[in-house]
Amino acid sequence: MNAPDRFELFVLSDGEKKISESVVSGMSNCSDFLMLKEDHTLGNLLSVYLKMAPHVMMAAYKIGHPNVPEVLLRVQTDGTVTPREALVTVCKQLVAMYGQLGREFQKELALRQYADQGENAGAGPSGGAGPSGQNGF
Amino acid sequence: MDYDPMVMDDAEALGPVVKISQADSVRVKFELSNADIAFANSLRRVMLGEIPTIAIDLVEIEDNSSVLADEFIAHRLGLIPLNADGVEALLYARDCDCDGCCEHCSVRLTLHAKCTGDENMHVFARDLVPTGDRVNQVLGTPVVSDSEGLGPLILKLRPGQEVKLQCIAKKGIAKEHAKWAPSAAIGFEYDPHNKLRHTDFWYETDAKTEWPPSEYASWEEPPQEGEPFDYDAVPNRFYYNVESAGNLPPDTIVSEGIKVIQQKLAGLIHELADEGGDGMNGDYNGPRSPEYGTGADGFGGGYTTPFGNGGNQSSWGGAGGAGGTTPYGATPYGAGQSSWS
Repeated sequence: MNAPDRFELFVLSDGEKKISESVVSGMSNCSDFLMLKEDHTLGNLLSVYLKMAPHVMMAAYKIGHPNVPEVLLRVQTDGTVTPREALVTVCKQLVAMYGQLGREFQKELALRQYADQGENAGAGPSGGAGPSGQNGF
Repeated sequence: MDYDPMVMDDAEALGPVVKISQADSVRVKFELSNADIAFANSLRRVMLGEIPTIAIDLVEIEDNSSVLADEFIAHRLGLIPLNADGVEALLYARDCDCDGCCEHCSVRLTLHAKCTGDENMHVFARDLVPTGDRVNQVLGTPVVSDSEGLGPLILKLRPGQEVKLQCIAKKGIAKEHAKWAPSAAIGFEYDPHNKLRHTDFWYETDAKTEWPPSEYASWEEPPQEGEPFDYDAVPNRFYYNVESAGNLPPDTIVSEGIKVIQQKLAGLIHELADEGGDGMNGDYNGPRSPEYGTGADGFGGGYTTPFGNGGNQSSWGGAGGAGGTTPYGATPYGAGQSSWS
């Protein structure tokens, strides 16, 4: 009855910012990034790839409570770059990597379909392997 | 253009590699290698939970004399897969200006069945008829993939019983409710020989004889007898099996998943670079580029799958290289029609 709307898991409320940075005072070159309405999908991805990035000394994330869709990501660098710069760089690299994955996938898919068509043509006009579904393909 | 070309080149040389072993209208099986498990798992999670589709969300029951309760039928209707081709043109109902729902944010379906014969009558998903204006002619149509062309069974009626109802299908993602999931299942496995010892096999006497080998076991080198445990090894090859529920073709699920995660990342970059104000900002005006409104963005033909056009036409505008349009140009931020990414 008083349950929150489920879309509050992934829709920012009015005035909320997706990500906000707060500098950690006790550690040098260290920032906490609070990502609202996010989960392990981004938390784990970013922390793992930040750990691999140059000049990043430490990166870790936590989700404080499973019911609260907030990810806290702490990044410490060696001072050559700021944690924010490191995070932006990693995000850009990941976008490029997923872009490449998409292109690779489309390329392979076209090859696969070409190969399947070849097999079907060889086997006769029955064309068993690729039944056209209801979805217009 | 949008990201450092150096980084781009590096990624091209070392980035993820895909091998597809099966692709048809129901499933696509592929191997992803040369990527971290976090990269692979994020893609899996996004394909499971965050790809927008369309499902029945509201049911107005005018008449129901069947043996099933109204809410029981409403629940069954919600779970019926609807064709989501073109769903990107549909608004989320919560973002729409209308009061409740309209043709920009919903599809209306009606079901009216009465058993007039002597035999029990079966009501199937094909009896759900989309009415009113739609974004396109297929969006919201129930998926019918059985050979008889009936679709899922909704309910049965005894002679004289009748159901009459109106359904409103809305756009959503599976994080809100599983009925919006595009995939029936996503198989995900790695390390078929358990060389990394990420799993522990339960056994009576001998795990080797009691557990059948994975279908991918022959794809990887089995461990040598007496081979020492390599504690530095990390998983590197991931086997996906994306099975569609019929609302989106399986290859579109993968490409949409990639798109969604790119939008998430682009949203972070946008926000971080925006606050910074200085140098970093320059490159990231993409989301507000005038291209967006004209539909010239990279994702224009989001759902065109190569199955239809028999070619190499990619869903990613950036792929073919027409000016290297990147996902940044297509983030929802400029248009403000979707607030969740």
